[in-house]
Order: sequence, then C-alpha cells, then structure tokens
Amino acid sequence: MAVAWIGNRETLVERAVAHAATLLGSSRCPVFSFDTDIHGTRAAIALAERVGAAYDHIEGAALARETALITDKGAMTIAPGEARRRGDMLVIVGDLPKEYDGFLADLANSVPDLSERNAREIFLVGTGRAMPSFLNGAKATRLAAGKTGLAATLAALRAQCAGRKVSAPVSKFDDFAAALAAAKFPVFLFSGLTSDTFALEMLQGLVADLNGKARASSLHLPASESGWGSALASTWMTGFAPRTGFARGFPEFDPWRFDIGRMILAGEADLHLRVSTGKPAPVPKGKTLPLIMLAKTLKPVAGAAVTFAIGEAGIDHDAIVYRVRTGTLNSVAVPAASALPSAAEIIRSIGGHVSPEAGWPC
Amino acid sequence: MLTRISGGEIVDPANRRAGKGDLWIEDGRIVEAPQGGVADRAIDATGCIVMAGAIDIHSHIGGGNVNTARLLLPEQHAAHLQRPAATPLSNAGWSTFETGCLYAKMGFTTVVEPAMSPGAALHTHLELADTPIIDKATLAILGNDDFLLSMIRDNASPAMVEDYVAWTVGATRALGVKVINAGAAAAFKEDVRTFSFDDVVPSYGVSSRRIVKTLQAAVNGLGIPHPLHVHCNNLGAAGAADTAAETMAAAEGVPLHLAHLQFYGYGTEGKRKFSSAAARLAELVNGTPEVTIDIGQVMFGQTVTISSDVLRQFSARGTASPKKTVIRDGDGNGGGVVPYRYRNDFYGSVQWAVGLELFLLITDPWRVFFTTDHPNGAPFTTYPALFALLMSRTAREEAAAALPKAALALSTLSSIEREYTFEEIAIMTRAAPAKLLGLSDRGHLGAGAVADVAIYRRDEDIAKMLGAAAFVFKDGDLVVKDGEITHYRWGKALRLNPSPDKAMVRRLEDYHQQRYGLSLDWFTFPDSAIAREEPFREVPCRS
Ligand SMILES: [Zn+2]
Repeated sequence: MAVAWIGNRETLVERAVAHAATLLGSSRCPVFSFDTDIHGTRAAIALAERVGAAYDHIEGAALARETALITDKGAMTIAPGEARRRGDMLVIVGDLPKEYDGFLADLANSVPDLSERNAREIFLVGTGRAMPSFLNGAKATRLAAGKTGLAATLAALRAQCAGRKVSAPVSKFDDFAAALAAAKFPVFLFSGLTSDTFALEMLQGLVADLNGKARASSLHLPASESGWGSALASTWMTGFAPRTGFARGFPEFDPWRFDIGRMILAGEADLHLRVSTGKPAPVPKGKTLPLIMLAKTLKPVAGAAVTFAIGEAGIDHDAIVYRVRTGTLNSVAVPAASALPSAAEIIRSIGGHVSPEAGWPC
Repeated sequence: MLTRISGGEIVDPANRRAGKGDLWIEDGRIVEAPQGGVADRAIDATGCIVMAGAIDIHSHIGGGNVNTARLLLPEQHAAHLQRPAATPLSNAGWSTFETGCLYAKMGFTTVVEPAMSPGAALHTHLELADTPIIDKATLAILGNDDFLLSMIRDNASPAMVEDYVAWTVGATRALGVKVINAGAAAAFKEDVRTFSFDDVVPSYGVSSRRIVKTLQAAVNGLGIPHPLHVHCNNLGAAGAADTAAETMAAAEGVPLHLAHLQFYGYGTEGKRKFSSAAARLAELVNGTPEVTIDIGQVMFGQTVTISSDVLRQFSARGTASPKKTVIRDGDGNGGGVVPYRYRNDFYGSVQWAVGLELFLLITDPWRVFFTTDHPNGAPFTTYPALFALLMSRTAREEAAAALPKAALALSTLSSIEREYTFEEIAIMTRAAPAKLLGLSDRGHLGAGAVADVAIYRRDEDIAKMLGAAAFVFKDGDLVVKDGEITHYRWGKALRLNPSPDKAMVRRLEDYHQQRYGLSLDWFTFPDSAIAREEPFREVPCRS
C-alpha cells in the first residue's frame, strides 16, 4: 500500500520526509493546521517550534471563541459526568455539535441519580426552529425574546432573573423561573459553535448571577473534541492555546495574527502543513501555497507538494483523545492497528530531518 | 561511566556525613570510592556544597486545574528570551518544559504534583511526562467522590475502603492520597457555602472528620508510605488555626500530613480580626510527633491560586486580580483558578510572617517541609529568596522593614533568632521528603542511591547560591552546569502499584456503567498511552 507521494508520484516515506523537511527548511513563514490526536498535536507543535511555524486547529474559529471565553472572562463549568448525575434542569444554549447527539440523547433521556428530584426539565435558547432530534421525544420548553438573537435573549433572561424590567421579555419566562426555583442544579450546555462570543460571555454572567443564591453551572461541549484536546496539549507545551506562532523562536499567542486562514489569505504564509485524520476538511482559500498534506488517503492529494497517508487516531492506531463524555483525555485502544503510520510518527520523522542534532521533546 | 566529584563539602544528614570529601558516581548510582578507581569524568567541587538532589513534596506543576490556569492567563506568562535549541520548548513561559528546566537549575530532581483528580490521571501524567529532567510523582485526590462517600454512609468495611483506595492509587499511578477540604466540594454541589471539620455532607450524613479518619486508616492499612495528605477545611479564613488544631488532634497517633499550614495560621486578634496564630500551631506541631506539615509560604507579587478546594476558590472569586476566574464542579473535587496578587499590605504581611514563623518555630526539620504550595503562595521560582530568609535573620529584618508595623506586631517573627543551617536545609528539602514519601533511593548520598546530586558554589548571597547550581546530576547525567541546562533527558513518574481486588474492579465497572453510562475502560489507561520509554518507576508499599 502506497503511503507517500511527492507531487503525484508515489515514493518511499523516507524520501517524502526528506522532501518535506527541505520545503520546511527553506520556508520563511510556514503555517500548520491540524485535526489530530494528542500525540499528533505534540509532534506538530514540536516541529512548529523547530521551523518557526504558526499553528492552529482546522476548526480554529470555533476553538478560538472557546479559548477567548476563558482568556477574557473565565467560566463556571461542570464535568459531564456530574451534569448527568446532578443536572435536574438542562438549558441548551445555541447550536451544539451534531457529533454529540448520542451523548445528548443519553442526557435528555436519563435521570439525575444524585438529585432528589430524579427528573430533568429541559429548556432551549436560540437553537433554531425545529426541536433537536436528540431530545427523542423528551419534552422541552423554548425560550426566546421576540426576534432577537441569542445574546439578546440571554441578556433579557439575565435581567429578568435579576428582577429587572426588559423591553422584549423572554417567552415562557415564568416557566423558566419556576423551574429554576425548583431545580437543585441547573446546567447550561454551550459550545463554541455559537458564533457570538458575546452570547457566551452573557451566559457566564447569568450562571455567575444564579450562583449568588443557589447552585448552577455550565457544561462546555467543545465545537471539536480534537480541537479542545489540541488546545489542552498546546497549553501545557507552550503556555498557550493554538493560534500560537514561533516566528521569533519562542511561542507567541495571538488569535488574530496567527489565524492560519487569515495568514494564507493575506499572503503572509509561504508553506502549509496540514494534518487531517478525521473527515477531510477543505484547505483554506487564498494564494496557492506549497502544501504538505498528512491525510487518510489512498491517493496523492490534488495540488499537494508532498502527501503522506496516515491512519486515523483511535481507528487505525491507539490514541489519546479528548472526549466530551468524560470532559478529559482518554486512551483509546484499537484491537488491531492498521499498517498506516500515525501523524505523530510522520511528523517526528520530518523533525528528525530538519535538525537531526537537536533534542526532540516528544 | 565513573565520575568523581572532589573537593566539595558534603552535606548528607541521612548518612550523618558532613565535611570535605569525594563523591563517586557510577552510571546512574552513587557508589563507594572504588579502590584505585580512575574517574572517566572529574568534577572539581572546591568551594562548593554537595547535597542530594532536592525533593519538593507539594507543587502544582501539572494536570487539569494547572492547565486551566495557563489557559486563563496568557498575559501573565509571555515567553522568555530565546535559549539554545538544545532544550526544545523550554523557551515557553509556564510550560511543562520550562517547569522541568527551572527546577533542575535550582538542584531539584524530584517534584510531587499533590492534587491529581483520579478522572484526569491520564491528562496529568501526560503533562508530567512532558516535564523534562526531573522525576515526578502524584497524589490522587479522594474524599469528595460519590463512591467513597456512599461507602462511608453505608458503613462499608475498612477492607472494602482499602480496596477502593488501592484501586484508585494503582489505576491513577499515584504515590499517595490527598484529601482536600473533605466533603466540602460534595456539600457545595448541594449549595452549602461554608464547611468545617464536624460539618456533614447533607445527602450522605457523613462529616469531614469521618472522611479524613476513614482515608487515614485506609492509607495506613495499605502500607502506603506517605501519610494521608490533608488540605484542611476553612483555608485562608481568620480563625482557621482552630480547624488546623482540630485536624491535628484527630491524627490520634497515626501519621497525618497537613498541607500548606501557613494558610491556616490565622487568628482573630487585632483591629482587623486577622492575626498570626503561627506560634500556637508550631507548638501543636512540636507536640504531635505523628504530624508532618509543609508551609505554603507566601511571597509578594502576582501569582494565581489553583486549588481543588472548589468551595474556597468560589468564595475567593471577588479577590481575583485580574478579574477572571474558572470554577469547576468535578466528578469529585473539581477546582478553581483565581489569579491573585499578594501585596505587602496588612493581610499579605501577616501571611508572609505566619509562614516564616512556622518554618522557624517548628523545631524538627524532619517534620516541616519547604513549599510555597506553588503557585498558591508564590511561584517555585521564589525558592532561592525564601532560602535566604530562612538562613539569615538579617535578610528577614531587611524584608520586614518594608512591611506595615501593625501586621508584624501581631506576629512573633521579629523576636526569632533562628537561622537554618545547610544541614537543616538538606534535611528539610532532601532527607525528610524522601523519608516521608517512602523513597529510600534518594534524598541522600549513600552508596546505592540514585545519583541525584546538587552542587552549589558557596556565596554570601544565599539566593544566588541556591538559585543556580554549579552542577546538577540526575540519575548520573550531568544536566546543569553553572546554572544552565546542559543536557535534556526525561524523568519518570514514581508510583505505587498495589494489586487491584477483583471484586472491587467488578463493582467499579457496574458503578460506572450505571451512573455514567460508560465502561470503566474510559477511566483507565495503559502505560503505553504516555508514549515515552518506561514512564513510571514503582515504589513499594510498606509490608
Ligand atoms: Zn496545594
């Protein structure tokens, strides 16, 4: 099975690795984008340091909103297991990733065993018109403040909870208030898919207010599991979340400057290394850049200078991944590993070629 | 490879060795001087003090809450000047890579992360594995988890509690057990806002005292070398000295370690109802031989408090500087991150004085441990300055001169003459920690010990001397020379490995299936997950 190509020509992995290393070595401003497991992320960040690259997750925009919520405001959050066992009132805030429907269905249709109420009431804020399919028949009450958006609805909700008058009151507010009064532990579910950062901050303001009198928290369901996993690894390795760059030899965090999509569009980047082990994501538009592609593919990726076929983390090889069901990193063992190399293996080989004498951190 | 370190002044209290002499290292171990042996490498330690590598028993260096703090505060840790490429990623400010390098430069070779949430053990160990040079270890947190509280409520047998503790320690690769504000995190989930030693977690009817006593007995019964590591209730509160005193009294002859005692050393005297109660606590420690403590010294400046005491962190939200916090209700403890600036105002000065009083009034250096509760009292990078304060009364007087008189008037600090000797420093930071943790292979310079050696060039300026070692060896590798990293390597995580009881594993499997809808596999991991060669080293339990 072919696993490496230079242009359209199949080649030995070692030659493709050497060629990728040469391209990286001569690049003035390389950018990395990835969607990979923890060890793939660690290898990519180590390589980024070595070649002075900036890096981001493939779902960088949603991830940046989630990290910005923490860096700008902070949050009150709850572990998913605790939300399942204690959340007797669930408030779904904005859009949640489709991938979590199974988890959400389990949540909506199970009983909180640590709550004396032994039932859940469900509310929806700014989730679109249709009832989400994960509810699976479970009853839910929709809250809206006229035709205003999510942030405005949350602001109205917060004001009304604080006993203030608002011009556009929230529909079914009395139901919401009654549920809050009865609930032992309301949990608000949110994700960075919600494109309004102000709404995320407003939600945290509401949760903080509620904790003045009783308990409540929020369950963060990251827009991308691999994105949040990479954010964790990036943070312990460099001190910073993705959208970090090594242009000056040390890590600098700048969510605007190191937005890889922006760097490509603006013509700042001159080489793109992309790691995509899950569903293939389109390459950001812009000036056509030399591309080093790591993907689960049977053929060379069109237009790529170098392509490596890699396995999918947790499917083709054992992996460490962030899981929304536990809210932390989990080990995934596969019964039988495929012959495809992991992203980490290929990136490590490239790193060894770039500067063979230097120490490698992972 | 045979290494001879010659001409230095050996300070090795565990082996009662003090004075000029040679030290020999062969490969990774310290050896007796070989008959007519010729060294492959000669280290001239003339004018230097030679000690074992230092051991930090309580420093929050990795895991979920620490990483959340990094994420919360990117502006607090802008990266540093570029260093040589031989130390990858150690240019990063407040990264795991930097942590290992900074510790090594000061001659620390083993560091314990004292607050590992069992559910996040894999995350914690991945961070520790990315912390270079030094060895690491963890304490697993229990005492706010539903499984244990339910067992206590249901009067489970001590043997069954031991099985659960043993499984947790083994599965999470921990070196010991910590309990943090026992019961308070669980009670906080039920909207309880203050929690003392005899308060009861509502749904379980179980008191904090009972949780501590249950865990203390289990840890002791299992032969876990490190006594139960207790973070008491009421941290930081005026009058918390009473809580610490109650907890000490509850040791009842069985070993118990109280963490960061400074944060409980507060009385309610004076106009502001906040005063030093350090002299009282020191006397209690002196009179309670089964109790050990570490200090959690406060040093002035910006830091961030990171604690699994979620109730306390929630209450401290208003003090955040800058104004942002993360508060998390976890499966057990959860935790909170509250940035904080210690100012040399009245309150900060009382805290600073309390820590120093405890250091100086507790007479037995084998029972008092050197910590700032990094980063809660101060970052560990303040250690050199803290050593200077302990070793020089003049240094203390100079520092105190800048502080409010009213604060120091409520403390005994100015009357204390004691100055720590190098021998006492070596006990407190080497010999005693090794003994407390059950690490017989380190903390001393006897033949057979791992070759963790720190060599400091004598200097009037203690902070300069102990802040940048002349030479540091880790497992026989020369890793630091003249205060700079010369060699990158990977340490191990030290762990216990009690064998799991099969019936307990089945019970836990059922529990996780029923309560979380997930198999126990989601909460465990193989060593290979760490992706480093032999990431762990086993430490035996007492037989
Ligand atoms: Zn601590």
